Amino acid sequence: MAPSTTDVLLTDLHVSYVQKLGQNKDDLTYHLTSHLRLNAIYWGFTAVCILGRPDALDRDEMIAFVMSCWDEEAGAFGAHPDHDAHLLSTLSAIQILVMQDALDRLDVDRVVKFILSLQQPSGVFAGDKWGEVDTRFLYCAVNALSLLGRLDLLDKEKTVGYIERCRNYDGGFGNSIGAESHSAQVFVCVAALAILDRLDVVDVDTLAWWLSERQLPNGGLNGRPEKLEDVCYSFWVLSALSIINKVPWIDAEKLSSFILSAQDPESGGIADRPGDMVDVFHTLFGVAGLSILGYPGLVDLDPVYCMPANVIETRGLRKNWQALPRRQ
Amino acid sequence: MFWLIDRGGGGARLGAWRQRYGARPLRSAMHNVKRTRQTPEEREARKRKEQTKIEEFTSLSQTVLSKKKDGDWSQDAFNLTTRLLQVNPEFYTIWNYRREILINGTFAKSSPDEIKSVLTDELAMAMSALKAHPKVYWIWNHRRWCLENVPNVPGQESEPSHLGWKQSAWDRELFVVEKMLDTDPRNFHAWNYRRYVLARMPNAKPESAELAYTSRKIETNFSNFSAWHQRSKILTSLWAQGKLDEAKSREEEFELLRNAMYTDPNDQSVWMYHRWLVGTGGGKTILEREITAIQELLDEQPDSKWCMESIVHYKRLLVKSCADEVDVTSLLGECKELYKRLQELDPARRRRYQELAEEIDS
Ligand SMILES: [Zn+2]
Repeated sequence: MAPSTTDVLLTDLHVSYVQKLGQNKDDLTYHLTSHLRLNAIYWGFTAVCILGRPDALDRDEMIAFVMSCWDEEAGAFGAHPDHDAHLLSTLSAIQILVMQDALDRLDVDRVVKFILSLQQPSGVFAGDKWGEVDTRFLYCAVNALSLLGRLDLLDKEKTVGYIERCRNYDGGFGNSIGAESHSAQVFVCVAALAILDRLDVVDVDTLAWWLSERQLPNGGLNGRPEKLEDVCYSFWVLSALSIINKVPWIDAEKLSSFILSAQDPESGGIADRPGDMVDVFHTLFGVAGLSILGYPGLVDLDPVYCMPANVIETRGLRKNWQALPRRQ
Repeated sequence: MFWLIDRGGGGARLGAWRQRYGARPLRSAMHNVKRTRQTPEEREARKRKEQTKIEEFTSLSQTVLSKKKDGDWSQDAFNLTTRLLQVNPEFYTIWNYRREILINGTFAKSSPDEIKSVLTDELAMAMSALKAHPKVYWIWNHRRWCLENVPNVPGQESEPSHLGWKQSAWDRELFVVEKMLDTDPRNFHAWNYRRYVLARMPNAKPESAELAYTSRKIETNFSNFSAWHQRSKILTSLWAQGKLDEAKSREEEFELLRNAMYTDPNDQSVWMYHRWLVGTGGGKTILEREITAIQELLDEQPDSKWCMESIVHYKRLLVKSCADEVDVTSLLGECKELYKRLQELDPARRRRYQELAEEIDS
């Protein structure tokens, strides 16, 4: 019996789905998501790289767009031309430029100054000058500084200290001190600690237990106890598990099937769960999850940086994470 | 690199917002939207319908962004940001611009009284946005900014009433966040905001009141791990300050947990909280007593994974912490037996149980 269409990864369809994203200008959602454009390009580009098709998107056009998002006043990137600079979009811009080997286009000194200016006395980072703080922004800063080779300028003690104070008794981490553990915040904290070579802060057995309990009977993963499954948690949970070398603590086969069942077999793309509308965010995190699970034919993903592993290796930044062996 | 997007809750209110502004709520545009098949004709019709909205949105965006560039801090510009944010509450640059207008335009030429009333309107505007979009970071963020900018009452510098406006604004905020948590008791934005308000409000509420709040939340629903989590933080603080008798309070928590376990032995929240509580101290007596109590539940529910998982964890804790006072060989033998059963019962996590069992042998 032939496998049903969603038992296998529909690589070509996903690549063409990502390619078409920039051509949806007669779609209202395209315009209503302009504040996420740079992030979306990072999601789409990383997805096609992991699918083995880095040339699917035009390099010059992409770099030109990234540079058009530069906010001259702040010295960093907004998510779209004329939008304000923010750490989230700035990290996306740097990741894209690194993947395209185009960092020479960047005023590294200025952007580093912007990033460092956002660290608070507590050690956490604000996302921009308006002051919202979150361990997400701390991760953005650490990741970006590392990619730019300027980690030596960071007060590591203070940074690690903040993460340490976000750790909960369940082994997980929240978005700020006192906050409930959440898989995505676990990812940002654990990945930042990995970059800073401070994984000793993690209580590995307790955290791996909490993470493994995110898997639900249908194979999908949730973000917190007693919540519903969602494809994007395939990445948040798996990346953290692979950084602490515990991916085998969940059922890889069931999770693979869950991710595959959330594909749109007609137009490509992956949704948050089976039967829902697809989007580029879940497409990346579905593909990223499958890569960590050793799905055949995919390119290795670095779970610390969420970028292709070879890009990170070339820069000498690879940490001691472990994914499942790639199946044939 | 990414947006953390949590799901669930708040969906019911979206209809009204959509009808009013004709925009698709974005956060849910990425979550929990059913895929529907459209014929080419339907797709064309939808596109034609959307065309007008696209033109309206893009031209409004361009107008507002160019006013921002020109440093236009007029009331007219402010009103346009209201319109734009109603269509797209995630447009963070526009929230930023709105604050720039308030700071440089409005506040510069207003009395403290006027500033207070502008911020009251602003909080009301953010409230209606939050009701429709309870998980948009930028709206929560804007609320914080408003709250932090409520002025002191002028002319009463040496009086306690000096902080009057601030106090009433922050008190109201606690009420607002409770409403949000009534709608979605797991909304982590709301919980984080709640902790922020509690930590910074000018007349601080006693932590015992917060403990009572978590009791109410947990009584409504034992599965509310967010409330259990909050409770663990509050108790830790109350115990450390000596405001509660630790041993007595711990016993009350065990009692509460006992009820919850028997209500639903499969609820993770309860077991995680139990693990926290056991970890706070009490030693051999409590470990042994809890093992016995859970064993009783396991005898009634012989397939309860969480009973086994907890018993095995506590038995290993016993071995680790009081090896001289317990029968190590038989306890570890029982643990290995439990790991074997857990492997059959919970195959998804088989490897974990295997590794933990091997640890005993090595
Ligand atoms: Zn998701």
